Amino acid sequence: MVLHAEQIYPSECCGAMLGRIHGKTKLVTEAVPLENAFAGQQHDRYELRPEDLLAADKAARTRGLDLIGIFHSHPDCDAYFSETDLKNSCPWYSFVVLSIQNGKFNHANSFLPDLDQTAAEPEEMKWPKS
Amino acid sequence: MAKILIPTALRQFTEQSDSVEVTGATVSDALDALTAQYPNIKKNLFNDQGKLRSFVNVYVNDEDIRYLDKTDTKLTGTETISIVPSIAGGATAVEEQAPALTNDEIARFSRHLILPEVGMEGQTKLKNAKVAMIGAGGLGAPLGLYLAAAGVGRIGLVDFDVVDVSNLQRQVIHGTRDIGRKKLDSAADRMHDINPNVRIDKFDTGLTSENALEILRDYDVVVDGTDNFPTRYLVNDACVILKKPNVYGSIFRFEGQATVFAYEDGPCYRCLYPEPPPPGLVPSCAEGGVLGILPGIIGVIQATEAVKIILGIGETLKGRLLLYDALGMKFRELKLRRDKDCPVCGDHPTVTKLIDYQQFCGITPMSSEPMAASGVIDAVELKQKIDRGDKFVLLDVREPHEYQIARIPGSILIPLGDLPKRLNELDKDADIVAQCKSGGRSQKAVDLLKQNGFQHVRNMTGGITAWSDKVDPTVPKY
Repeated sequence: MVLHAEQIYPSECCGAMLGRIHGKTKLVTEAVPLENAFAGQQHDRYELRPEDLLAADKAARTRGLDLIGIFHSHPDCDAYFSETDLKNSCPWYSFVVLSIQNGKFNHANSFLPDLDQTAAEPEEMKWPKS
Repeated sequence: MAKILIPTALRQFTEQSDSVEVTGATVSDALDALTAQYPNIKKNLFNDQGKLRSFVNVYVNDEDIRYLDKTDTKLTGTETISIVPSIAGGATAVEEQAPALTNDEIARFSRHLILPEVGMEGQTKLKNAKVAMIGAGGLGAPLGLYLAAAGVGRIGLVDFDVVDVSNLQRQVIHGTRDIGRKKLDSAADRMHDINPNVRIDKFDTGLTSENALEILRDYDVVVDGTDNFPTRYLVNDACVILKKPNVYGSIFRFEGQATVFAYEDGPCYRCLYPEPPPPGLVPSCAEGGVLGILPGIIGVIQATEAVKIILGIGETLKGRLLLYDALGMKFRELKLRRDKDCPVCGDHPTVTKLIDYQQFCGITPMSSEPMAASGVIDAVELKQKIDRGDKFVLLDVREPHEYQIARIPGSILIPLGDLPKRLNELDKDADIVAQCKSGGRSQKAVDLLKQNGFQHVRNMTGGITAWSDKVDPTVPKY
């Protein structure tokens, strides 16, 4: 995710997170970069094609994984869940936002939006130990 | 039995099944069967009004039902139905997603709000809508007034012209005090006076192949109030490329047309007119005249269509060309279809980027200039020629009713249309200066005379308008 976000900088990147759900814990085992389909300035906007998401979901199923979240980057901007993010979100997935400052990863946060797209709960994130 | 694939997050409601078999004749039936079996899933897919939530897309096999028959899409029972959310976002909060209406706005738009078809939801859509208006002239005048009054939040105005006294007979957004001002400034002042909350983006330029996509990209709906063919084809092609509805209107003398192009799966301007008419065949309003009220009617029809598209209500003029005849006071309608061979919006488009529309419409100013330059005379030179007492014929090729308004002393009148059959009234060896209102028709007269063996023919540049400007201000301009 970080690699993809840094490569796509200064545009916003986006992609899907595949993995498994164990109770209240979601374990991401793989990140799949998807094309930013927003027709316009991509520095501060992204859009996922439903077809791409459908394909990612199919790919996950065939490998016994689940599509559990969506990630995207905020170039030169903090990793908050913006109004635009919220209004175009979906409560079925966790949304990880990566802050990329001057082309380098800075920090990330995860959010779980509600059904009516009016609020998003922050989720605790743990990175794998290398 | 059709199979519905359940996204991971919803499997908590389906006892962890990743797919559910259902029966149903349509997608709607299948989803009803799913929610009947697992009631808790319902609020994830449908809002309180029972409509699919905005982020829910449904695919039958690999087809998005929005491009089939929506939830009425028929099922045979062998399909796989997928539920896919639409997801987007970005670092900046989008300003057009403005908060709900203020109390002032609720008071202002109360007559809209009590229409159930508009209501708070519709008025908020209008507030968040962005409309591009090409031209702030005859059609632009009622459009600007009514779109601002209706509460459209953001309006982009594209115009490079200045208010002239001859505009005021129809361009009611401008006033006598605005003569000489930029139409952009004059129109924006009036629109702000009607609705101080409207945001107006001023583009002080003509729309060109270079700037059109950049200017129009930010808007939801484009309203075409232009008066010439190159710009009309440009607006059309840009709207098809950008997938923006193009609300079209045109006016001439006592007749007008309106429709909606490039909207959903409907036709575009090129499906109706693949090729422009030869230059000069269709006169402009400046040449042919126009009833001042006519653009009022056509512009208001365009404003209505723009508002309906924003609200998503009613039946638009998509696929119907509305014809209006002011003298007969009749409306008629022609059916239009998308041409699958259309070069722009057809199944295999050949025009995929903007082209040179002047050239496309046969207007080549560069090539005609050298010829014109050798045979022209301007207003001041004409005055000197008259004062010297030169023996020559001043041939006025305008229409008789124009000749009644104003004329240059000593001119003889042969309207351009009559000229071919009245050539014998002129001496082939005479020194002839052809003159009209502004120099266009007289150039055609010069070309015609030269083709017929007249040796000494010149065109008066600027016509009687230039005569009034530079020689004799007592001659009225029209």
